[in-house]
Amino acid sequence: MTGTKAFDGVFTAGWMRRFAEAVAATEEELTRFDQAAGDGDFGVNLLTGVRCALAALDRLPPGRQAAAVPLAAAAGAFLDEVGGTSGPLFGLVLQELAAAAGTGPLTGPALARGVTAALEAVQRVGEARPGDKTLVDALHPAALALRGCAPGARPDDCLAMAAAAAAAGVRRTRALRARRGRASYLGERASGVPDPGAVGIALLFASAGGVPRTLDVVLLDDTAPTEAPAGGPDPLWGPEPAPAGP
Amino acid sequence: MAPYLETDQDALVASALAGFARAHPSLVVHDPDLGFVRARDRAPGRRVGLLSGGGSGHEPMHVGFVGRGMLDAACPGRIFASPHNRQIFEASRAVAGEDGVLHIVKNYTGDRINFGIAAERLHRQGIPCARVLVDDDLASDSESVAAGRRGTAATVLVQKILGAAADRGLGLTELASLGSALAGRCRSIAVAGAAHTSPATGRPAFDVLEHLVEFGVGIHGERAELSLEREPLGVLVGRMALRLLESLRPARAPLVALVNGLGATTSLELYAVLNELAAVLDTGGRRLERALVGDYVTALDMRGFSITLLAADEQTLALLDAPAYTAAWPVAESAPAPGHQEVRR
Repeated sequence: MTGTKAFDGVFTAGWMRRFAEAVAATEEELTRFDQAAGDGDFGVNLLTGVRCALAALDRLPPGRQAAAVPLAAAAGAFLDEVGGTSGPLFGLVLQELAAAAGTGPLTGPALARGVTAALEAVQRVGEARPGDKTLVDALHPAALALRGCAPGARPDDCLAMAAAAAAAGVRRTRALRARRGRASYLGERASGVPDPGAVGIALLFASAGGVPRTLDVVLLDDTAPTEAPAGGPDPLWGPEPAPAGP
Repeated sequence: MAPYLETDQDALVASALAGFARAHPSLVVHDPDLGFVRARDRAPGRRVGLLSGGGSGHEPMHVGFVGRGMLDAACPGRIFASPHNRQIFEASRAVAGEDGVLHIVKNYTGDRINFGIAAERLHRQGIPCARVLVDDDLASDSESVAAGRRGTAATVLVQKILGAAADRGLGLTELASLGSALAGRCRSIAVAGAAHTSPATGRPAFDVLEHLVEFGVGIHGERAELSLEREPLGVLVGRMALRLLESLRPARAPLVALVNGLGATTSLELYAVLNELAAVLDTGGRRLERALVGDYVTALDMRGFSITLLAADEQTLALLDAPAYTAAWPVAESAPAPGHQEVRR
């Protein structure tokens, strides 16, 4: 079992702390994207969320705890203490992850269940569909990738697949025109800019395995050929990630 | 137009809420930290908590309708802005009955999202929660408006009728379907001769030329679909009634009318509006069973009024007549106490 981490509370607390670092390092870029598409407060709201989440983590009793505990603490901070709507929507995502973990460790199947439930909750609340240029465009491919993970796959491998799928989803939002929220009033003015909410979701998954200090890990596609494919620009919707394993 | 006496909008909302609670200590309890008002008392048979909320600036809605027989709690947001999901979540937990909590929500994107987030949280806690969406404003009834019709003054009728139904022990699903059916039988239209004063600038939110009336304004200063030349009140009211009756279903039902002031319209004018409305309905052979006149759902100090018509039935009228004890629902409209004697003419 070398390298297979037990995804307990130590892992999830570390994940939330890494996410906080990543948001602090990229807040200016997130704000710039939101200024192009929304009302410019997304970066600050996400930063408020991770700071409140850190404070909530610090208030947890010391000692080992279930994976759900730090996730639920971070969820409560995002839900209760961030204004606007995108911050609390991140809280919903974390709440569903915590619920899926239950009292046990955060396994690959639990991640798949949690992110799927998060996608459903966010869609029930915001009524956004894939392609509307919202955080759904990162959450949806991440859920698909996780559902494609083999039941026995290591959870860190599953999260890496989710991060890659979410990042690919973010890159597709550049070509999309917003149909929901404030950005929908801007029409073509916001095209070319990725959706900041989707960037935030991709950053969340990317933070599972390290601390992204720039948005390059989300915005640059290192799997793409260096030259443009012969068929012209990338199609709007790439193929769904192939299931891993039998 | 003059600026507001208190120019810090958030301080104004918080202070007014505290003042409201001081004025009505027998009716409501105020939680200043969590930002909601709840009823001090509820009927013993009520199994579902009724909760509503939305931006401030529409007083007396919603806090004025908290009390026995109507809402169990109200969550006010900042001026013309949705309440935070935390207010809704905490208020819902505080007032949920054995069969959960029903959210009565006006159809605006921000309200839908914040009530939706609170509902997801309640669901995770095992508290049953359902929603009634009110979307009565005909002016926003257009194929091109993806968000659908806005929710306006009909909200108060829905709150009153559902309040009485909840007191009779109806469950969450029954109340939710009654509420949706009711919302489907209400339509409103609003006109204004002058915009409200913008709290941010102290100036009118939009300009209306002196000889014009805005036909189809919203309750947040949403501009009207058309500007009409001023005409006698009876003609204007007739035009509004015609528009409402065209879309109201079922088509020949007995009617409840709510003539609602938008904040800076005199009672004299509002009663005259009702009189003109009644005349139009009489001429058309429509039965006006109940009428309410006054400021129920305002738009700060907008000079204008709305007319809401509800296509009623016997059950709806009985529920509307049941007494409610709140700061703003007229007790005089309630059914007479047993043993009363009619004054003979």
